[in-house]
Amino acid sequence: MNDIRPSDRGVWRVVAMRDFWVRLRDKGFVISTCVTLAVFSVFILVRAYGGVGTPAYDLGIVVDRAGGPATAAAYAPAQASAVTAQIEAAASSALADVRVVEVHPPDAGRDRLREGSLDGVLAADGILEGDADVPTQLRQIVQAALVRDRIVAALEAAGATEAEVDAALNVPAVTLRTLQPRDPNREENGGIAFIGVLLLYGQLFGYGVWVATGVIEEKSSRVVEILLSAIRPRQLMAGKILGIGLLGIAQMIFIAAFAMSLAAITGALKLPATALGAAALVLGWFVLGFAFYSSLFAAAGSLVSRMEELQNVIVPLNLVILVSFFISIGAVQDPGSTLAVVASLLPFSAALAMPVRIVLGSATLPQIVLSVSLLIGSTMLLIPLAGRLYAGAVLRTGSRVKLRDAWRSAT
Amino acid sequence: MLELIGLRRSFDDVVALDDVSFAVPEGAIVGFVGPNGAGKTTAMRIALGVLEPDAGEVRWHGEPVDARVRRRFGYMPEERGLYPKMRVREQLVYLARLHGLPAGYAARRADEIVATMGVEERAGDRVESLSLGNQQRVQLAAALVHEPDALVLDEPFSGLDPVGVDVLAGVLRRQAQNHGVPVVFSSHQLDLVERLCDAVVLIDRGRIVASGTIDELRASRARRLLRVEVVGAADGWYDALPGVTLEAEANGGVALLLDDDVDEQRVLDLARASGDVLHFTRVRPSLAELFREVVSA
Repeated sequence: MNDIRPSDRGVWRVVAMRDFWVRLRDKGFVISTCVTLAVFSVFILVRAYGGVGTPAYDLGIVVDRAGGPATAAAYAPAQASAVTAQIEAAASSALADVRVVEVHPPDAGRDRLREGSLDGVLAADGILEGDADVPTQLRQIVQAALVRDRIVAALEAAGATEAEVDAALNVPAVTLRTLQPRDPNREENGGIAFIGVLLLYGQLFGYGVWVATGVIEEKSSRVVEILLSAIRPRQLMAGKILGIGLLGIAQMIFIAAFAMSLAAITGALKLPATALGAAALVLGWFVLGFAFYSSLFAAAGSLVSRMEELQNVIVPLNLVILVSFFISIGAVQDPGSTLAVVASLLPFSAALAMPVRIVLGSATLPQIVLSVSLLIGSTMLLIPLAGRLYAGAVLRTGSRVKLRDAWRSAT
Repeated sequence: MLELIGLRRSFDDVVALDDVSFAVPEGAIVGFVGPNGAGKTTAMRIALGVLEPDAGEVRWHGEPVDARVRRRFGYMPEERGLYPKMRVREQLVYLARLHGLPAGYAARRADEIVATMGVEERAGDRVESLSLGNQQRVQLAAALVHEPDALVLDEPFSGLDPVGVDVLAGVLRRQAQNHGVPVVFSSHQLDLVERLCDAVVLIDRGRIVASGTIDELRASRARRLLRVEVVGAADGWYDALPGVTLEAEANGGVALLLDDDVDEQRVLDLARASGDVLHFTRVRPSLAELFREVVSA
C-alpha cells in the first residue's frame, strides 16, 4: 500500500489539459481552423489587391497609325494626347485611376475588349465601345473629359491664356462638412466591428456547444461515473470549461496573429493599431461572454444522455445568442440606437453588442463599466446555480432530467 | 477496513437499500451476491460516493470517508465506461492522474497495468477499436492503475474469457494478499465466488440476508442433508426416528432431511441396524444452493 493522498484542489487542471489537448488534435477542430484562416485570407487579399481601394480602369483610345489626317473614327496623335490629358484630369477629380493606351484601326482594341484587358475604347466620333457594357464611372469620366476638351478649345478660341484656362478648369476639391461629428475611419472601423462580432458569435456559440457536447459525451459513454469516483462534479465541470475556453482563446490569438501578419505583408490594413486594439477587445469579450454562457451550456448538456438530444436542450441558449448577434449586427449600422445601448448593457447580449459600440466609438466609459460589472456579477451568480444543476443531473443516465429534479438531487 | 454502516436509500417510492451493513477487512476478498435488482449496485455506488445515501455512512479505518479518501479507491461500475476515442495508455494515465498520481508515476503505472492485464499490445489503440473482452480488461486496468487502497468492483468477471477470469482472479488475490487491499466484488458466477472469496455477503430486496465465510453460511443457513445408501433395508427404515424425513430417492440411496435436534449418529445407528451401510455422507450444499435457499425464503 502506498500513501499518496495528495490534495485534490488542483485536479481541475488535469481535466482542463485533457479537454484542451484532445480537442486540439480533433480533426474537426483542425479543419474548422483552416477554413476560418482561408476565409480571412480571401477577405484580406481582396482588400489588398481587389478593387476595394481606388477604382482603376483601362481605356483604349483609337489613334490613326499613319500620322496623316484623321479618318472618321480615329484621333490624330496630337488630338489624342490632348483628350488623354483631359481624361486623366477628369479621373483624378473623380478619385479614380484611368490608364489610357492607344489602339489602332482596323481592330481598334476589340480583341483586348473581348479578353478583358480593356474596360472600354473611345473613338473620335464620340462612341465609347465596351464588351458587354462599360463601367458607369468610366462613362462619367469620359463624358467629363470630352466636356473639358471642348471647354479648353472654346476658351483658347476666345483668346484665353494657358493660365486662364487652368484657373477656369482646376477647381479645388469640395470641403466636406457634416452635422454630426464625423469619424474619418468610420468605414474601416465598421468593417472591423462586423468581423469582430461575426468572430465573437462563432466562437461563443461554437465553444459553448463544445462544452455541452463534452458533457454529453461523458454521460453517453458512462465514463462520467469513473471520473466522479475520483473527483467532484464541480471540479470536472470547471476543468472542462477552462480547458475548452483556453482552446478558444488560443485559436483566436492564432487566427488574429495570422490575419494581421497577412494584412501587414499585403498592406490591406490602413489602421494596424485600431485592428490590434479590436483584436484585444474581441478576445477580452470572448473571455467574459464564455464565462457567462459556458456553465449554462454545461448544465444544459448534463440533462441528457444522448448526443441526439443535444439540440433540444440548447435551443434556449441558441436563441438568446442568435438574437444578441442580430441586434449587434444592427448596432454596426447604428451603434447609438436605444436597442443597441440596452443590448450592450444586458448581460446576455453584452458580450456581442458592447464590443461593436466600443470599436465604433459610441460607448461611453460609464456604460462600459456598467456593462462589464453587470456581466461579471451575473456570471458569478450563474456559475453556482449551473454547477448545482450539473452536479444533480450528470450521473442520471436515461431519459432527459427535469430541471427541478436536477436541482433537488444536488447537494 | 472498509465498512458500510446502516445504508438506506430509496428511489421515489422504491426502497433500494434497507439498513445495509457489512465490512470488508484488510486483505480480504468479499463476494457480494444477490439476485438482480437486490441493491448491489446501489450499495457500491454509495461506497464510491457517486450516489448519496438517505441514511447511514461509509467508513474507512473507522473514519467516515471523504473525497480525498475515496480518491484512493478503485472502482469498476456496472455500466462500463471509458472515452471511446481515447487511446488506452493515454486514458489510463489520465485516470491515474485524476486519482492523484503525479504525471511520471502515472505513466509508469499505466505501462505496468496494461502488461498485467495482458493488453500491452493494444496500449496505443483507441478503446473503441478493441474487442469487448479487451475493453473489459482496460476497464479493470482503469480501476487498478492508481494502486488503490480498496477495490469495489461491480460484476468484474462478466464478459471475460476463461483466461481473463484467471488473470483477474490472480490480480485480485495479489492485491488482497500482498498489498492488504480490501476487495469487494459482485458476481452471479457463484462457483467463482466460492473459489475466490474469503467471505460472502448475500443481499435480497435491499436487505442483507446472510454474511460470513461460506462454511459459516453452510452451518447457519443450510438445511442438514444426509445421503445414505443401505443394502437390505426395508423402504422407510428411517421412519423410526422422529425429525427425519425423506427429501429424495436416487441411485438406490436416499437423501434425508434432518431436523435441528436430530443427532447424525443416531441415524447411522439406525441405518446399521437396518442393513449394510455402503454410503453415509453429509451433503455440502454449494453456494448456489445456499443462494437459492436464502433468496426464496
